[in-house]
Amino acid sequence: MNIISEQVDGRPLAQRAYFASLSREFVTVVISTAALVVVCLLFAPSSVTYGSLAGSLPFAAILSIVGLGQMLVVQQGGFDLSVAGGVSLAVVISTHVPAGSNDGLLPAVLLAASCAIAAGLVNGVMVGLLRLNAIVATIGMNALIYGGVFAVSGGIPRTTTPLLAAIAGGDTLGIGHSIYFALAILLLVTFVMKKTVVGRRYEAIGANPMAARAVGLHVRLHQTMAYVYAQLLYCLAGILLAGITNQPTAFQGDSLLLPSVAVVVLGGTSLIGGRGFPISTVMSAFFLTQLNQFALAVGVPYSAQTIIQALALGFGIAVYSFR
Amino acid sequence: MKFSIPKGGIALGAAVAMLGLGASATYADTPAWCGPKKATIALLDGFGGNSWRRITTTSAKEEAAKCPSITDYQYADGQGNTQKAISDIKSMAARGIDALVVFGDAGPAVLPTLTSVYQAGKVVVPYRVEVGGEAGKNYTKFVGASFKDDGVSWGNWIKSILPQGGNLLFLSGPAGNSQGKDELEGLKSVLGPEYKFLNPAPFDVTNWDPALTQQVLTAEIAKNPKIDVIVSDFGPSLVGALPLFKKSGRSIPALATSDGNVLGCFWTENNKDNPDFKLFTVATGNDNARLAVQWAVAKATGGELPKEETFKAPNFENSVTGKPSAVQCRKDLPGDIYLSAEMKADEQTKAINK
Repeated sequence: MNIISEQVDGRPLAQRAYFASLSREFVTVVISTAALVVVCLLFAPSSVTYGSLAGSLPFAAILSIVGLGQMLVVQQGGFDLSVAGGVSLAVVISTHVPAGSNDGLLPAVLLAASCAIAAGLVNGVMVGLLRLNAIVATIGMNALIYGGVFAVSGGIPRTTTPLLAAIAGGDTLGIGHSIYFALAILLLVTFVMKKTVVGRRYEAIGANPMAARAVGLHVRLHQTMAYVYAQLLYCLAGILLAGITNQPTAFQGDSLLLPSVAVVVLGGTSLIGGRGFPISTVMSAFFLTQLNQFALAVGVPYSAQTIIQALALGFGIAVYSFR
Repeated sequence: MKFSIPKGGIALGAAVAMLGLGASATYADTPAWCGPKKATIALLDGFGGNSWRRITTTSAKEEAAKCPSITDYQYADGQGNTQKAISDIKSMAARGIDALVVFGDAGPAVLPTLTSVYQAGKVVVPYRVEVGGEAGKNYTKFVGASFKDDGVSWGNWIKSILPQGGNLLFLSGPAGNSQGKDELEGLKSVLGPEYKFLNPAPFDVTNWDPALTQQVLTAEIAKNPKIDVIVSDFGPSLVGALPLFKKSGRSIPALATSDGNVLGCFWTENNKDNPDFKLFTVATGNDNARLAVQWAVAKATGGELPKEETFKAPNFENSVTGKPSAVQCRKDLPGDIYLSAEMKADEQTKAINK
C-alpha cells in the first residue's frame, strides 16, 4: 500500500527529498562559513578586510577548481591522488614552454591540456575499465606525471610570462580573474550535472552502478571520463596558479592534495559515490582558505595555527556526522 | 680567497676560470690551495632539483677545474632521497675517488656514512648543512655558512635606514629551521627593543614556497597597518606577494633579503611608484660550494689550506648607498639566476637551461 502510494506520488516526493537534502548540505556549509566569518570579525578582523580577501580569494579559487575535479571522481566512488602531479605538470608546462615569451603561452596551454587528457585517460582506463584500485592506480600515475614534471623542468622553477600573470593574477572590478574562472567552472559543472541528460546519468551511475548498468547506461565510459574531467580541472588550476605566483616551484601541486579531498568531504559528497555538491564544495574551499587566513591573522605561533586549523576541520566534519 | 672582491675582480676571476676550463691551466694560474699531488674529487648533492643548486654545483665544478692536479670530477644527485644520498657517497668512495664534497641535506642521517668513508682514508668535506659530528673524527672539515652574519648585515642596514626603530616582519622557511633561527639571532644582536617584530616568534613560516609566502604576507599586510621593513631569507619568493601592498593602497616597504635576478628586476620596475621600497641583499651563497671545494682539494692534493673556515655571504646590493653594488637586473636573462655569484650570468643561464 505504502509502496504503491509512493510510486504514484513518486516524482513530487523525490523532488521534495531532493530540495530538502540539497538545502541541508548547503545550509550546513553556509552556517559553518558564516560562523567562521563571525569568529574572524571578532578575533581577527584584519582577515576579512578587502586587502586580505583580495590576496587570499585567488587561492580559494584554485582550491575550488581542484576540489570540483576531485568531487567528479569521488562521485564515481573513485579517488584521485594524482592531483599533485596534474597541477604541478600544468604549472611547469605553462612556465617552461613559453620561457618568458607571451607568444609561447597558447601552445603551452594547449600542450598542458593535451597532457591532462592523456593522464586522465590512462587513470580512467586503469580504474574504469581494468578495475584497478583507484588509490593504487592514481598514486602510480602521480609518480609517472612527476616524471613528466622533471622532464619538462628538471625540477627548476621558471618565472611566469607577463601575459599569464595578467590573465590569472590580474583583476577586473577589484576582483581577481581567478575568481571569475572558478565561478565559471562552478556554473558549468552545476549546469551540466543537474540540468543535462549526461549529467543526470553521471550522478545516477555514481549512486548505483549496478542499477545503472541494468538500465543500459555506459557505466565504464562515465567512470573513465571522470578522471579526464578531473585532470582538465587540475590543469586549469595549475595554469592559474602559475600566473598568480610569480615564480612557482615545480612541486606547487603537492600542498593541494589533502585540501582537495577535504573540501569534497566538507562539501557533503559521499566518499562511496553518488550525488555531487558543487556549490557546497566551492563554499568549503572558501571555508578552508579563510580558516588559514584566520589562523595567520590571529597572530599565534605556528604550532597553534596548525592546531586551530585541525580543530576547525574536525568540527566541520563532526557537524556532518551528527546531523 | 676573499669573497668581498669587487665586481671587476669577480669578472676577472670568472674569466680566469673559463680559461682554465677551456685550455689546460698553466701553473702560473694555479691557486695556492691546489697542491702537486694528483687527486680525484666528487660532489654529492642531497637534492639537486632547483636552479640555485644547479648554479652552485656548476660553480663547484668550475672551482675544481682551476686546479690541474684534479684528474677527475664526479657528481651525484641524491634527489632528496636520503637512502640514495647515502649509497651515492658509498659508491663514490668505492670507486676510488679521493675527495668528497657533500651537501648533506639529510643532516645527521648521513653522518655514519661520512664517518666510515673518512675513516677509510678519504677527504670528506660536508658543507652548508650541519651534519653533526666533529672535524678530524667524523670528517675532514665542515665548511658551514654563517647565517648569523646575514642577520647581522640585515640588522646593520635596518639601523642605517631606520635609526629611530620601526616595525619588522621576518619570514623564513619551514617551522624551526636552523637557518632562520641563526638569522634571527644575528638580527637581535644588532637591533634593540625599539625594533618590533610583528611576526609570531621566531618567524613567519613560509616553507620557502611562493604560494604560502603570498598567503602569509596577505594576512600580515591586512593585520599590520605599518610595516617598515620585511626581512626574508629567500628574496625571490617575495616577488609574487609584494604587489599585495599596491592592492591595499600602500607603498612596498624596505626589504632586507638575499639576492636573485627576479628580485632586482622587480625593484627596478617598481621603486619609482613605491617611495618606501628600499632594497638590501646579501649574496644567496652559491659560492659556499667553492670554498668547500678549495678545502677538499687542498687536503687531497697537499695544497695550502684556505684561510676562511666558514662561508660569509658578502653584502651585495644596496639601493640606498649603491655600495657594494647598486641593484642589478638582467632583464634579458632568466629570473632565477644569482648575479651575486662568482659565475658569469651567461654561464649560469646555460647551467640552468641544461
